[in-house]
Amino acid sequence: MTAKRYGMVIDLHRCVGCAACDIACKSENNVPYEFHWSNHILETTGTFPNVRYRYIPTLCNHCENAPCVHNCPTTAMYKSADGLTLHDADKCIGCRLCQLACPYGVIYFNDQAPFSQFDNDNAPAIPECTSTGQEVALRTGVPIPYYNPARATTYPGVRAQGIVEKCTFCDHRLAQGELPWCVESCPTEARIFGDLNDPESAPRQALAKHAPRVLQKEKGTKPRVFYIRDF
Amino acid sequence: MASDFDQQAPELSVSRRAFLKGAGGLGFGLVASGAGSPILSFFAREANAQPGDIAGQWLASTCQGCTSWCPVQVQVVDGRAVKIRGNPHSKANHGNICPRPHLALQQLYDPDRIKVPMKRTNPRKGRDEDPGFVPISWDEALGIIADKMMELRANEETHKFVLFRGRYSYLRDVIYSAMPKVFGSPNGISHSAICAEAEKFGAFFTEGYWDYRDYDLEHTRYVLCWGADPVSSNRQVPHAMNIWGQVGDQATISVVDPRLSATAAKAHEWLPVIPGEDAALAVAMAHVILTAGLWSREFVGDFVDGENLFQAGAEVPEESFGEVHTYGLVRWWNIELKDRTPEWAAERCGIPAEQIRRVAIGFGRAAPAAISWVSPGASMQARGGYAAMAAHALNGLVGSTDSMGGVVQKTKVPAEKPPSYEDYQDELAKKLSKKPKMDQRGTLTFPALNKGKSGGGVVTNNAADAILDEDPYEIKVAIAYWANFAFSCSDSDRWERALTKLPFLAHITVNASETTHYADVVLPAAQQLFEKWSFLKSKQNLHGYASLTQRLVEPIWDVRQDETEVPWLLAEKLAERGFDNMQRYFKEAYADPETGAHPTNSEEFTLTALKMFTRPCWDSGHKDYGKYGDRLAGWQDFVDKGVWNSKRYEYRSHWGKFKTVTGKFEFYSETLKEALGKHAEKHSVTIDEVLAATNYTASGEAAFVPHFEPARRWGDEKEFPLVFFEHRSRLNREGRSANCTWYQAHKNADPGDENWDDVLKMNPVDATRLGLNDREMVRVVSQTGEMTVRLKLWEGVRPGTVAKCYGQGHWAYGRVAALDFKRRMPRGGNNNVILPAEYERLSGSTARHGGCARVKVVRA
Repeated sequence: MTAKRYGMVIDLHRCVGCAACDIACKSENNVPYEFHWSNHILETTGTFPNVRYRYIPTLCNHCENAPCVHNCPTTAMYKSADGLTLHDADKCIGCRLCQLACPYGVIYFNDQAPFSQFDNDNAPAIPECTSTGQEVALRTGVPIPYYNPARATTYPGVRAQGIVEKCTFCDHRLAQGELPWCVESCPTEARIFGDLNDPESAPRQALAKHAPRVLQKEKGTKPRVFYIRDF
Repeated sequence: MASDFDQQAPELSVSRRAFLKGAGGLGFGLVASGAGSPILSFFAREANAQPGDIAGQWLASTCQGCTSWCPVQVQVVDGRAVKIRGNPHSKANHGNICPRPHLALQQLYDPDRIKVPMKRTNPRKGRDEDPGFVPISWDEALGIIADKMMELRANEETHKFVLFRGRYSYLRDVIYSAMPKVFGSPNGISHSAICAEAEKFGAFFTEGYWDYRDYDLEHTRYVLCWGADPVSSNRQVPHAMNIWGQVGDQATISVVDPRLSATAAKAHEWLPVIPGEDAALAVAMAHVILTAGLWSREFVGDFVDGENLFQAGAEVPEESFGEVHTYGLVRWWNIELKDRTPEWAAERCGIPAEQIRRVAIGFGRAAPAAISWVSPGASMQARGGYAAMAAHALNGLVGSTDSMGGVVQKTKVPAEKPPSYEDYQDELAKKLSKKPKMDQRGTLTFPALNKGKSGGGVVTNNAADAILDEDPYEIKVAIAYWANFAFSCSDSDRWERALTKLPFLAHITVNASETTHYADVVLPAAQQLFEKWSFLKSKQNLHGYASLTQRLVEPIWDVRQDETEVPWLLAEKLAERGFDNMQRYFKEAYADPETGAHPTNSEEFTLTALKMFTRPCWDSGHKDYGKYGDRLAGWQDFVDKGVWNSKRYEYRSHWGKFKTVTGKFEFYSETLKEALGKHAEKHSVTIDEVLAATNYTASGEAAFVPHFEPARRWGDEKEFPLVFFEHRSRLNREGRSANCTWYQAHKNADPGDENWDDVLKMNPVDATRLGLNDREMVRVVSQTGEMTVRLKLWEGVRPGTVAKCYGQGHWAYGRVAALDFKRRMPRGGNNNVILPAEYERLSGSTARHGGCARVKVVRA
């Protein structure tokens, strides 16, 4: 059996730009609210009334030729056997060279303790009557009340201060035979995910049918996130 | 080979500037520190964790973030809600959800939630007064409310009690109907008229249907949206989102909206109408459809001799046309349409005649698989009743109403009504609950013709004036639940004054809010999606459904379920004080359909009521079981699946039997003529006088046909040169999500908007003229009020108008929604501060759309 090589095709014609992927990702991966593993590029062009609005979903491109991997001095950023660009938190020294190297701006650095809005919050809006972040954390027994423990099966459930973090194509879900949560959560079925080595896979079928594009092709990164059709 | 893709894949062309903006920049300001610093052991990789241990359970509920009311499932792990997805058992949203349900997780665990009942210690009320809330027990809180209510009974003035209802479930009848009526008040006052009543007006006075329509997107060939933004909001959002790509392939999509909405951005045609002039566009399209001969022969009929006599400017003899399922086509033409050419409309609505013609012809040619989709944007306008009729009448013209690929009504979702409470009303309650309701409905200037009945509908926003003016009588005690009228009603300042005047207000709410600020007692409510047992009825994708909400996590705060537990507990307190009628009603009239047991506490009462009301869906012993849809295998099966689906809608089931006066689809509305006639008679005036009293300009026969009315605006054009209009957010959970960081961090998903901000969108042409710069702070001033917000220059808004999203500007909702909670400084601005208390009076609706406020925008 040949190795898998995971990739994603995003059908911009189906996408309606709702950001459900961005929010669902935060929920699945315990991502701090100011980080956007799943994100988007916005563009309004033209002049009234001939105006064009475009929304391009973005995420780690899991590049085949990944600058973040090449520039990581500790091999914390690495390519997995099935083509994912992953991050070993234990090896990360927080030098941020990966961030500098990535042309897509999809790597985030924890310059503060994550989720400090819960940890540090002890001054209620209405004293004794409304709660606080600390109280919510105490009552739920976890530092983020909607903490998803499944994330922690392959990566720290929440990434520590001083290291980077990024999209993993939900490797913890792939390990269970599940699709990435942004794919499952897309109400428009715009995200098509699978094994690019398999000619029968959904992304290969989509790529065969429509002319694919990638972001910043000139960088030579060989992204594994492709775009088809137009928003 | 897959590696070939690099050769095949050209660069996706996006400007570098846009890319960096979208990616949020990198922010290298901070130096890396503490690399490898200790991490909390909790967060460490759970090497030994087995996925099976942490999978939890997926439990069903319903999202009430918007009015789609989608069946959802929540993943519950260790008693915590962790993730949300669509309910795969639902035929309506078929497993899909929009962004809103995800945000609900942050509402559930919002650190600013009220955790205990509280009472006011500062008797002075006002925006600048600190209420001095202190925590109290449920016992004390309910005792205070019961004492106030018993005073009304002692003084034989129970009608001076009002129950304000905002959002609701279908257990609402307990608190909204039974509780006031058994107590002795007519005053259940709902939010409905600030929602979309004018939209229902259009369908009712043409085809006799007072409700929201459903849309057969799967088979349509044309979608014409009137302010509707279905891939973003209102209605059937996830189904529309899911199918929109297919719709774009098979159909033409045209969107009428002064703003480049999310749906307009995914449309083939954008018609950026001048706000409030939608009716001009609609009647011109009707004119084109008729002159081009594109009406439905099958539904409407034809000229007797086959020749099309609909020519611009020409009267048509009525007897020359034979109608089939419609009524009054030629009269409509002669009274209104014959001169409504695209050129005439272009001057008024700002859409080029050529585009009007192209869209109308495209719509007519696609028919009957064509949808004219009327939304609040095109109807909740000062003169929007006739605009709603005109836009909906297009479905009648082309026979798309009730047709495959067109606009349909609803399927039956069987539910039981609450048991009768009449036997529990004492003489006082019977007498005083027959008093006129407090909102002045049915008066000359507020016909509120719900289903054609004068005073049949609520006039929500006018309740503030009724309190202030003590007209028809003084209100002394109010309970409000799931409502925040001090924020959500236009000219909200009136509400702040009314609530200041109101002697006693109890507020049942999840978060403290602008209304809470004026409350005497505050009761913390269970959050609807995660903590509350109830059910909803709705429709999407040609299926009606009943969908449960359930308590799927134990609340971490001392909350109660608003619609059932609070009335039960209050009834106990009233009984202790000598009035036990309500308690007896709850205890005696309610019984578990499975066991026959009567409820003994508030939680049992909640489940008992829910099982009784939903019984036809799950109880094989009920006469309606299985008759209209799913055959669920008992109560537990309903809880497990969470949703009961109706059969699919049957096309053309209403042709020939519309519930209008004539039984036909009425272009000349005998139904409206009768309704207006009765209202006029009640007040001994003419119908023309009714129209004048309700701010319409038409007189005579025009009153009975869909017709053009000029927009009505507040403020002099010279002083207030720009027309302000508002829109909805795809992240709004009905104005309750602004305290969620995920809302703020993704707000730019609304086209033109910015994260962590609440921008006023202005076309650059206007900004240049006014000397204003992108992203500077501006004051937006109307005749009614003013707000200070950031300016955003954007090409997606019509010159001469400015637009801002609704939902922000909270000053009392929490520490994220407010810029400074302690100082009551809002993040952004509440549009209702600058919108006047304008109405579409025939339906009683609040006219928040149509550009009713003119504004000036000046540097702050």
